[in-house]
Amino acid sequence: MFCDRAIELVRELHRAPEGQLLAFNEDGLRQVLEEMKALYEQNQSDVYDRLLRIRALRWEYGSVLPNVLRFHMSAEEVEWFNHYKKSLATYMRSLGGDEGLDITQDMKPPKSLYIEVRCLKDYGEFEVDDGTSVLLKKNSQHFLPRWKCEPLIRQGVLEHVLW
Amino acid sequence: MFVSDFRKEFYEVVQNQRVLLFVASDVDALCACKILQALFQCDHVQYTLVPVSGWQELETAFLEHKEQFRYYILINCGANIDLLDILQPDDDAMFFVCDTHRPVNVVNVYNDTQIKLLIKQDDDLEVPAYDDIFRDEEEEEEHSEDQRDDGSEPSEKRTRLEEEIVAEPMKRRERREWEARRRDILFDYEQYEYHGTSSAMVMFDLAWMMSKDMNDMLWWAIVGLTDQWVQDRITQMKYVTDVGILQRHVSRHNHRDEDEENALSVDCMRISFEPSLRLALYQHWSLHDSLYNTCYTAARFKLWSVHGQKRLQEFLADMGLPLKQVKQKFQSMDISLKENLRELIEESANKFGMKDMRVQTFSIHFGFKHKFLASDVVFATMSLMESPEKDSSGTDNFIQALDSLSRGNLDKLYHGLELAKKQLLATQQTIASCLCTNLVISQGPFLYCSLMEGTPDVALFSKPASLSLLSRHLLKSFVCSTKNRRCKLLPLVMAAPLNVEQGTVTVVGIPPETDSSDRKNFFGRAFEKAAEGTNSRTLHNYFDFSVIELKAEDRSKFLDALVSLLS
Repeated sequence: MFCDRAIELVRELHRAPEGQLLAFNEDGLRQVLEEMKALYEQNQSDVYDRLLRIRALRWEYGSVLPNVLRFHMSAEEVEWFNHYKKSLATYMRSLGGDEGLDITQDMKPPKSLYIEVRCLKDYGEFEVDDGTSVLLKKNSQHFLPRWKCEPLIRQGVLEHVLW
Repeated sequence: MFVSDFRKEFYEVVQNQRVLLFVASDVDALCACKILQALFQCDHVQYTLVPVSGWQELETAFLEHKEQFRYYILINCGANIDLLDILQPDDDAMFFVCDTHRPVNVVNVYNDTQIKLLIKQDDDLEVPAYDDIFRDEEEEEEHSEDQRDDGSEPSEKRTRLEEEIVAEPMKRRERREWEARRRDILFDYEQYEYHGTSSAMVMFDLAWMMSKDMNDMLWWAIVGLTDQWVQDRITQMKYVTDVGILQRHVSRHNHRDEDEENALSVDCMRISFEPSLRLALYQHWSLHDSLYNTCYTAARFKLWSVHGQKRLQEFLADMGLPLKQVKQKFQSMDISLKENLRELIEESANKFGMKDMRVQTFSIHFGFKHKFLASDVVFATMSLMESPEKDSSGTDNFIQALDSLSRGNLDKLYHGLELAKKQLLATQQTIASCLCTNLVISQGPFLYCSLMEGTPDVALFSKPASLSLLSRHLLKSFVCSTKNRRCKLLPLVMAAPLNVEQGTVTVVGIPPETDSSDRKNFFGRAFEKAAEGTNSRTLHNYFDFSVIELKAEDRSKFLDALVSLLS
């Protein structure tokens, strides 16, 4: 058990009468310090894992995280997230041309502007760029701009039809 | 109105808009749809595709989508009925109709603003002249306006009124005569249903005009045309003419075959024009199975009788084909036998009275293994579309069939071929049992046959295309089997159970079997009149009016009405 040595040392000190200084239990102390180091490292890997997950969240949800998630993160993690967001934005701005390239849009490098999608379940109305909407009914096929379809494909409502 | 320049008046109009495509459930429509989809994807036209199998589905789908679209394209549906009346669209809606159903409804022909017909005018359409059907309402209005204005001048009014009183009976009589003439003209025009040029070919033509045609699209046009031929929707002459047109395109796209030096790799897709045998699916089956299950041979040999089966054995012996080879899968037959198979079969068939064994058709090759005749693909797609699997809905089948037409989905095509084999087998077995148990009875002006609920595989025949195929083959076999000369010239009405719980049957009417048949079917109107006259509960839901749903209880009175109507 982890804290056994530490507890023993504290108990010894406590048992000794007031004012008396016990021999310096070098061995015991070293063991305790080693345990502390091991625990610290484990915590580190746990924290690192959380960081990786937060980074993935940026790619999945975009730059604004839902409140539920923010609740689960500590203040330092939120700060780390903001830093990450900033560096990602700087990088994207430096790519392709004047405006920069938003690489968080597509999961894979896109091959064409529009894609053919098939509706797997009844979804209802879906708004397209020019303000009008499309009714997504089961088994209807549509030819729509790629960026509008991506979120629905991720959710499983639409299926990309390959020719 | 008829569109004359397909590119300017149709394609360029829809190119920058979002369009809604309504596609009917038959193979020709699927092929036309594929070609149009390919064109739209090339030009980034945003579209939505909705499959429809009948008028009710069309109406429902239209109501659901009408807020979102202004431009609609209907493929193989909508020409033969007053579209604006059925759909009640807004005034700015525009409909483009590419349909093989004829006759085209006169309202659709003469509407200049909202309905554009993508139909070639050299199809013999015989549309009645405008003046014969639509009368200017102005004369009537002037008449009544005069009467109202004349309040101020009593004397003039009296003389005018006297003149009008004299003129009125004349006008009324003229009007009655005109109306009687109009009824006759419309009756003649709408009496017979038939089909025009394949929609897939029309779409391919559009692609060719825009120089965007490709070999894939050409193959789909071929399949669309072959579908019309397999379903006996066009005359033999029209088939031959259209094949000639497509053959020119095929040689334009596929001439690299002949040139040895620049020959394409084996994996590229090639279409070839070749004479072939009128045997269904023979390259994917054994020769024996194909001979047994193709209507042409089964009817001529009379394979439902023992005598007929003996004749088949004689036929095979005449050709020198050992039975063991013939019953093997075609692809595993001896190469020495396969080489001259076609000529052998044609020769022997001639001897046995089958002069039309040879058929000019197209085939597609890609890779070493994959070779399909156009008719193979038609049977496969038809079976996929009408497969009666319980858990799949109509639109699922449509999607499966649409996918099978792409070359990337060969597994679906092979699955379709297996289903087609089952369908053909079931068709022949049902025909054999109908003929052996004398289920085909003459009702006077037509023959009648009804499939009972317990018949094996009866579920395969509840959909219109499968039931029509069965009925046509049954009629052909019946004509070969009967000795009664009068019966040979009769049409056939066939009924099969559709839904046991609701007690409905599908009824289909087939025109009589003659050599020079023009494929015109009068059953559409006949069914309507018979249903009206007897208050039978019918549903004229399919785009082909000669196929209806009927409540089984009303069957006898419906038939009686039909008999008296057609005698």
